[in-house]
Amino acid sequence: MFTFAIEGMLRGAGPYGLVVTDALEPDCPIIYVNRGFEEATGYRAEEVLGRNCRFLQCRGPFAQRRHPLVDDAVVSGIQRCIDNGTQFRGDLLNFRKDGFPLMNRLHLTPIYGDDDIITHYMGIQFFTNANVDLGPVPGSVTREPVRSTRFAPDNFFRPITTGLEQDNFCREYSSLFQLTDEVLCQSILSRLSPRDVASVSSVCRRLYDLTKNEDLWRMVCRNAWGSETTRALETVPAAKRLGWGRLARELTTLEAVAWRKLTVGGAVEPSRCNFSACAVGNRVVLFGGEGVNMQPMNDTFVLDLNASNPEWRHVNVSSAPPGRWGHTLSCLNGSWLVVFGGCGRQGLLNDVFKLVVSGGCADSGVLLSDTFLLDVSMDRPVWREVPASWTPPSRLGHSMSVYDGRKILMFGGLAKSGPLRLRSSDVFTMDLSEEEPCWRCLTGSGMPGAGNPAGAGPPPRLDHVAVSLPGGRVLIFGGSVAGLHSASQLYLLDPTEEKPTWRILNVPGRPPRFAWGHSTCVVGGTKAIVLGGQTGEEWMLTEVHELSLASSNSV
Amino acid sequence: MATREAGKKMIMLKSPDGMEFEVEEAVAMESQTIRKMIEDDCADTAILIPNINSKILSRVIEYCNKHVPTTGATGAAASDTVAPAALAEDLKIWDAEFIKVNRATRFNLIQAASYLNIKGLLDLTSQTTIDTISDNSLEEIRSFLSTKNDYLPEEEQTIRRENQWAFQ
Repeated sequence: MFTFAIEGMLRGAGPYGLVVTDALEPDCPIIYVNRGFEEATGYRAEEVLGRNCRFLQCRGPFAQRRHPLVDDAVVSGIQRCIDNGTQFRGDLLNFRKDGFPLMNRLHLTPIYGDDDIITHYMGIQFFTNANVDLGPVPGSVTREPVRSTRFAPDNFFRPITTGLEQDNFCREYSSLFQLTDEVLCQSILSRLSPRDVASVSSVCRRLYDLTKNEDLWRMVCRNAWGSETTRALETVPAAKRLGWGRLARELTTLEAVAWRKLTVGGAVEPSRCNFSACAVGNRVVLFGGEGVNMQPMNDTFVLDLNASNPEWRHVNVSSAPPGRWGHTLSCLNGSWLVVFGGCGRQGLLNDVFKLVVSGGCADSGVLLSDTFLLDVSMDRPVWREVPASWTPPSRLGHSMSVYDGRKILMFGGLAKSGPLRLRSSDVFTMDLSEEEPCWRCLTGSGMPGAGNPAGAGPPPRLDHVAVSLPGGRVLIFGGSVAGLHSASQLYLLDPTEEKPTWRILNVPGRPPRFAWGHSTCVVGGTKAIVLGGQTGEEWMLTEVHELSLASSNSV
Repeated sequence: MATREAGKKMIMLKSPDGMEFEVEEAVAMESQTIRKMIEDDCADTAILIPNINSKILSRVIEYCNKHVPTTGATGAAASDTVAPAALAEDLKIWDAEFIKVNRATRFNLIQAASYLNIKGLLDLTSQTTIDTISDNSLEEIRSFLSTKNDYLPEEEQTIRRENQWAFQ
């Protein structure tokens, strides 16, 4: 629509309001306002759509008539232009929702339809602070429990006219509430962590009201967890999603984590193992795998969890990558699927259709400890080896998680220990944003300088599941575990803590007996889907265990 | 418009208390609000900055002066000799010094940064508020924000329960 074109032209010109009214309806109701209008006037779109624009000439939402300081000549000028069907340009006194005066440099343009009838009016408004002297707002519209006598709500900026700042003077002016602009308060609050936002709501009523705002919580989540995480959360339809405030709480405390078993329809046939699954939005995509007689496969199946009765559906893909098993499947940018490696008809593969790999098993069966990066955003992506002066023992069957945007965390696997290969429970991290990235041992058993003071670390394992949680935490479970330990127990590590310590997470519900990294993925940011986890032998892909990280909104 | 050196446009900014500040156009345009006024040709004589007094305005100009991207002959020379990382480090130290002001000034700077739409200054000035809220007890936050606990005892208990998770 043309409004978007205008928006594009004006973007970069700073804050401005854009209003479109319907000239064919009686009294020209507003049918569109942009965000700039909302921010400048304090009125939200839903409050003004359907109304005539003239309420901006009234002081505050409860005023019934035009404010006496609004210039009648300008108002009749506008009326004349509307009557003649011509453009209007001029300065008009307007008022924000909180009564604060604004000078509106208004450009009003009629839009003609096909048969030369005016169908719409478009108003572009450049707002500046109006330097007019007004009395106090009749009947305050904002709840302000604390109001100093010197704090006049109609003066957004109260200039300090004296160089001497007496103490009581400072205190009255140094309040956050002086920032009557709610948008500004929220932009400051949104930079706090979820816990801090919840805690400031206990300070006083005004802050309580400010923090009961879904837009604020959405910004808090985005600032705390990164836009990628919030985008994943948004792939779940809004109706099935918790509010942002609730989500921030549950994903911070993990209080609602629970296991659930469900059975889905459809079938993945022929039956297979060593396939790879990954999440795309709220769907699970499964590719390839090992059929009977180690037959490599290259078919694709999708399980749509947005559906009311989810079922596996086979998807016909043209020019699918050659068949393989034991590969990895990753999702990038919310829609690209990247396949890497695996074992095909002619042996091990290293073709990419992927991201960060480390180690693995070479053709000759030697364990590797090298790290490669592939930047798929380059014109011609090239694998680049990450040189490191010291590398952890070579391994396979480990997991790799990304946290803090550019840091990686590696856990467990089958690692070389002298002449032997043993399951490991070591944690190594690397910061890829450093000039010379190097491996650091965070916690583990046999590493020099490492230790796990709490002693609650996960038993050594390989082929396990590592789920990245908002805020950089990593959840480990499943895999092939050493000794008689259960694979169902959940372990939590926060690598961003000063002294990272493993914690056991006790969760209600029925966990799967087995869970493997390649058959588990996180959908919609809040559910880890474990495929076929009942036995270690047969793959019943219609049996699904779900670890939900937040409570569901269906109740 | 006044011109001091060849090629450098100067802009006059006026505070409501009657002070005038002559600044380079590039410096003034660090403020998106002023940039908009200049681009709209509303700035042919002097720009009156309503509601920001000369004391705060001079601090804002000081900030913009330091943060304006260096261009032109002198700018190129500067970036030849100083590495970008060192320059960024230098700016950080300068910012830390700049923000050592009392609370009243800081809140005034937040408002000025918001009104004039200077993102860097808004980030810098609101960070202290954020740090204070993150690191202090409720009582300390109240005293920092000059507010009182206006909950009834039973209300306070309900809200405390509701937000218990924040204190775990």
